[in-house]
Amino acid sequence: MFFQVLYRVLTSADLWQAALVFGTLYLLPALGGLMSERSGVVNIAMEGMMLTGAYAAVATAEATKSLWVGVIGAMIAGGLMALIHAVVSINFKANQIVSGIAINIFALGLTNYLVFIQTQGQGLPSLPGALRLPTISWGPLANIPFLGQVLFQQNIIFYVALLILAGIQFLLFHTNIGLRIRAVGEHPQAADTAGVNVRLVRYLCVISSGVLSGLGGAFLSLGIAGIFSSNITAGAGFIALAAVIFGKYTVLGTAGACLLFGLGNGLAVRMQDTGISPYLLGTIPYILTLIALVGLVGRTTPPAADGIPYEPGTE
Amino acid sequence: MAVPTSQHSESKEQTPGSNFLAWIRRTGVSIAGPVFAVVLAMVAGGIVIMITSSGSLSDRFSAAISAYQALYQGSFGSLQSISFTLVIVGPLIFAGISVAIAYRAGLFNIGAEGQLAVGAITVSAIGLHATHWPGWLLIPTLVIAGALAGAIWGGIAGALKAWRGAHEVVTTIMLNWIAFYVADYLINGPLKDPNLANSTSPLPSQGTFPIISVFYNNTLGTFLPKIPTPQTYLVDVTFIFAIVALIVYWFIYARTTFGYEIRVIGQNPKAARYAGIPVRWNTFAVMAIAGAFAGLGGAFRLMGQFPYYLNGSSFSIDYVGFDAIGVALLGKTTAIGVFFAALLFGGLRQGAGLMQLNANVPSDLVFIIQALVLFSIAANFLPAIQRAWPRWLTFRRKPSLAAAGGDVAVVDLPEDKNEKSTDAVSHVDNSTEEE
Repeated sequence: MFFQVLYRVLTSADLWQAALVFGTLYLLPALGGLMSERSGVVNIAMEGMMLTGAYAAVATAEATKSLWVGVIGAMIAGGLMALIHAVVSINFKANQIVSGIAINIFALGLTNYLVFIQTQGQGLPSLPGALRLPTISWGPLANIPFLGQVLFQQNIIFYVALLILAGIQFLLFHTNIGLRIRAVGEHPQAADTAGVNVRLVRYLCVISSGVLSGLGGAFLSLGIAGIFSSNITAGAGFIALAAVIFGKYTVLGTAGACLLFGLGNGLAVRMQDTGISPYLLGTIPYILTLIALVGLVGRTTPPAADGIPYEPGTE
Repeated sequence: MAVPTSQHSESKEQTPGSNFLAWIRRTGVSIAGPVFAVVLAMVAGGIVIMITSSGSLSDRFSAAISAYQALYQGSFGSLQSISFTLVIVGPLIFAGISVAIAYRAGLFNIGAEGQLAVGAITVSAIGLHATHWPGWLLIPTLVIAGALAGAIWGGIAGALKAWRGAHEVVTTIMLNWIAFYVADYLINGPLKDPNLANSTSPLPSQGTFPIISVFYNNTLGTFLPKIPTPQTYLVDVTFIFAIVALIVYWFIYARTTFGYEIRVIGQNPKAARYAGIPVRWNTFAVMAIAGAFAGLGGAFRLMGQFPYYLNGSSFSIDYVGFDAIGVALLGKTTAIGVFFAALLFGGLRQGAGLMQLNANVPSDLVFIIQALVLFSIAANFLPAIQRAWPRWLTFRRKPSLAAAGGDVAVVDLPEDKNEKSTDAVSHVDNSTEEE
């Protein structure tokens, strides 16, 4: 009985479509977090940056009646949140974990505060269809059985995320800039000696983490949910963090982890008739990440200078 | 962390008068940072209110003032509101100790909320299956079970750090979410009350704690004057236990070998290893103790407060474990500091409701204020400003090799002793990962 259901669910196109939707949701902030961590700035604030982005997307889209302005607004808002993290942790050499926690709390408070002010506690209404991120159907390709539904009838952000994924993989591992970013994260003193502007690189990487998380937030509110509600991210940013670690701080590993966690999410919804609680399935990403940290399936090692503020002139 | 330096300067002073002055000076220096952080955050919160309210500048200013008045009224304005505030403060102190004791060992316990959750859910599970136990047996069992569950949850993170080098921030975040989901599963599944939606059944009444005022009337009140209308002061005996916990915490860090050892580990793990301190074992132990304190917080909160049951998804949206981080940092991880910081944060939480009701300022402002407090502590604005000030006036040189010497001279302010203690954590992260 159980295996029959599992087989039916695993072979359904609905599941894989949903897995890619959730995977995309985790992938965008995860790639952002990866950029930040690779440059040596610990970022546990993707949750807050996503939440800010999700709110800003709805607010700007409603105000300007334009979907794409909303998306850009989300990216800017996420980037501004990240800018705070960058200033506090790079210039003030603050504890990056405290700063990250502060951003998460700040984002939760700020978004709730603004929604309350705007609607006098009523909560924002659902968005009209014109302000939702469209699904793209690739003509005849969309009619291929199974693959058509999974790959060629997805939300536009899915394809954008794939482009960003490829772009970041190329940037980090096949360009000069990527080498510099990784050098700054591993050994900032050496990078500085070689003429790399450590602060600038870290600033750009942290801000890019906010921009990507903001885009993820926009995908959540404008694409998946069609509404902004309080604490709508509900831990997605932390799953993204888990994906970065589970993916061993590599781009492709992170993407794989996001797909896996997205699949887990899809399963959680569809396995209910087998009697397995969706709550218990929800723990899977975190348990897997713990196992990865323990080193049973190969040890996860963060970049050497991750979390250490750079002091010019120190060893 | 300020303890070693304070003893040092004490020995230098001669007369009792100058001793007292030195004490004032030291206290002033050590609370300047936290006070500055709170003032800065409150001012910034006021600016947020002014930006989002309407009318002329003076209207906006009075809106901010009346919001803060309502905040004060709701938190410390009357005996009744103080008692409501203390209801929040009790568990917050437990969670704050949890974060603080780990911080002393250079570990960042983000997992207080998860440890609190497993503590509470364990208490709930046992309480519902031991309905016929007498109170004298049930209450200690529940308290110990809550502490143990928290200790296991914290101990997992400690063990992973000690023997596998997994960073405790990441593991505690993961353990938090596992705890939230498992708690949700239990609340909506095996422990669900058939007559309540998404809730567990209430604990049996002999397994719950009395309200302090009722307890007083029934015991001391039989000889001494009774408190009129005891039911209006909701604070339960959790608060008294929290004070006891603070004393225990103080005793651990100031008067025991273990406390000394974790402080050494927190400030310099390499030196600790050279001195023969069992770093790994102590890392595990301190996380387990941290978890036990948080677990106790969860247990007491469930056992002390009406309606004595857990509600669906009550932990993933709960804020005690995260407020605790602010409490520990704002209190500089000292027992007395944790107490006052918990009063402040608990007061903010409690007063926020009245602020929203009376002044029409969303209670979420409290989150913003707390985040700003954290930013301010993390960034260490006060010393940063002090340090930056003469540098702007004197050298305009780019900090390079030459500035290393200059830095040492500039940092040699009285402030720098406190500053080093907060810097210790980032320093530790650095060195422990080399294991």
